Amino acid sequence: MRMNLILMGALLAAATALAAPEGKPGGRPQMDMSGGHDHAAMMQGMGKTAAWTLYPTLKARMSGESRETMKTAIMPQNIVAAGIDAWSNNTKDDKAHRQLSIEMGGAMLDKPANGGFHWLAAREEQGDTVRVASTVYSFNERGARDPSAMFMQQKHELEIIPQPFPREHSRYRANEDWQFLLRFNGQPLPGQKVYLETSNGSMAEFVADVQGVVRVHVPDDFKPEEEMKDAGGHNHGMRRGADLVLATEYAAEGKTFLTAFNSSYGPNAFEKRSLAMGLGFTLLGMLGAAPLLRKRKTEPKSEEAGNA
Amino acid sequence: MLKTLFPTLGRVRFTVQILMLFLTVYGGALLGSYTVDRISQALPALSCAYDKMTGDHCILIVNQHQLHHRVGEALVKAQDITLKVFIPVAMSVGVFFMFFFLLNKAFCGWVCPLGTVQELLYRIGRRLGRPLNRLQPGNVGRVRPVKWLMLLVLVLALPTMAGMGVVSNELGDPFCQVCPSRIATTLLTADTEQIAVRTSTTVNFALGALGNAMFGFVVIAALAARQPFCRICPLLSWNALFQKLSPMRLVKKDAHEKCEKCGVCEKACPMDIHEIGTEFGKKAFHEDCTMCGRCAEYCPDDDVIQLKFFGFRLFGSSREHYKRRVRAETPEGAPKQRVIDVRVNKPKGENG
Repeated sequence: MRMNLILMGALLAAATALAAPEGKPGGRPQMDMSGGHDHAAMMQGMGKTAAWTLYPTLKARMSGESRETMKTAIMPQNIVAAGIDAWSNNTKDDKAHRQLSIEMGGAMLDKPANGGFHWLAAREEQGDTVRVASTVYSFNERGARDPSAMFMQQKHELEIIPQPFPREHSRYRANEDWQFLLRFNGQPLPGQKVYLETSNGSMAEFVADVQGVVRVHVPDDFKPEEEMKDAGGHNHGMRRGADLVLATEYAAEGKTFLTAFNSSYGPNAFEKRSLAMGLGFTLLGMLGAAPLLRKRKTEPKSEEAGNA
Repeated sequence: MLKTLFPTLGRVRFTVQILMLFLTVYGGALLGSYTVDRISQALPALSCAYDKMTGDHCILIVNQHQLHHRVGEALVKAQDITLKVFIPVAMSVGVFFMFFFLLNKAFCGWVCPLGTVQELLYRIGRRLGRPLNRLQPGNVGRVRPVKWLMLLVLVLALPTMAGMGVVSNELGDPFCQVCPSRIATTLLTADTEQIAVRTSTTVNFALGALGNAMFGFVVIAALAARQPFCRICPLLSWNALFQKLSPMRLVKKDAHEKCEKCGVCEKACPMDIHEIGTEFGKKAFHEDCTMCGRCAEYCPDDDVIQLKFFGFRLFGSSREHYKRRVRAETPEGAPKQRVIDVRVNKPKGENG
């Protein structure tokens, strides 16, 4: 098993190096690796390959018929890790930080009583390279604590921290700007580059400001005809989504650190909406109320009120 | 010092309204993005969950979602109608009631962002010299049942039926789709998404068109009529269900001989509750009351109308307060020294 892990890690590292454009840490694969059998996923601790990126990612999958029996499995992709670290937003709880072992279907994330946000991370260290995949998962439960403190806890050397992460019942959406803090050993990284890739095929590069905060523009790259893809979770029937990953690389202490943060995102806010028609109907309503503004000559002229 | 800053109850209420407007519309931006998950998530005021900066959201969106996704779905499966289904609903109503218990319907008159926006528009209307359209006793009875109909159909029935699969899934939160607060509060954060009508399906489009038209109507009507949407708001009827269970009360003396000839409290009432002038005792605390306290402020006699909490007097009418109040503003809300044009909506057949 240990040999398998090393071999898989070496293969992924080689693929990453081959696919990476010059000056950019492991990027989009040059070949489609989604077809056929995925032997990597069949081995415990192995990272399943994501077809759209070579950056390490964590994919959450929900199963179960009802919300009471729903289970959440976290599947590492493009990374070889023995387990997944989970931090809950209830930082005072004994189980605030726990390690989830990876089974055949991924690492099972248990739902705590209070639900709320979880930070999930997988780490791989091969020689002088440290790779980290990270993501946020929320159970959307009443009474969840503010996750800001949990997000800011140092969990790895190189970190990409959402500032903030979309709150309950919302998510990243195309054509929106979101901020992330880049840190190394808890210190901000001004001028640090971040690379974005999406499963819809977009790639972009962003640079952090003097506070180490990078403003990322989520590309508007959904095809209008595309069918609903993301049917998981709180499905309102019309939602569709894609995946994005942010990655950054930093060399220090004789090692190279690569950290990625992935999440899903939805179409832009105005998809299947019409602002012109919205304004038109609003105007129609205004016109309907306009007679109320008119003064009638035949009515009682005026009344000096308040002199009772 | 406090007397100078807050000479009248009206000034206190206006200050609270503005603070609450900021909390309910921009609270997330001011206090942290996740504030919305931490206050009540079941506020007895139209604080909108579609507003990305809101600090809390109203009970009605929670009710609609729970009826749609939990109760309706469970009913159709005819199984597991258990604590797992009803506990979340009971929790929401319980949290709502914890807040409601303290302030009763003052959430409508002091906290609701849409109520505040309508009052601000009405003040603008007074400055612009627009007429005041009032509902007379003959007309007001026709409007009052609408809020119960809104609650029954849009908040309770359609979401449950959507969960059962009887009606379209898009009718899962129909009240939110027509609620003017959704558009008003999001526009206040410079977000134009909610004023754009959804075009994905006929149902979505119809709800959106109706919601936008209602929003447009309310914006203009509020310049010449007081609290036009509050009169049909399902949260007013929802709150009315619980108003007798709170120790916060509007109390009027059992009998007072001057009331028959006076009627200033009726003019001051933004909800056209004529009963405040004609009725006494418990009957004067009407289901439409938003506990704004204007009737108590404009009652010229001592302690005839009071706001009480657990029997303790928080505020009571007094001659002195009345004089101070009318020096600045008429009971109808017009700045003093300004002549107000009052148009009366009388039932057909009645002469003006």
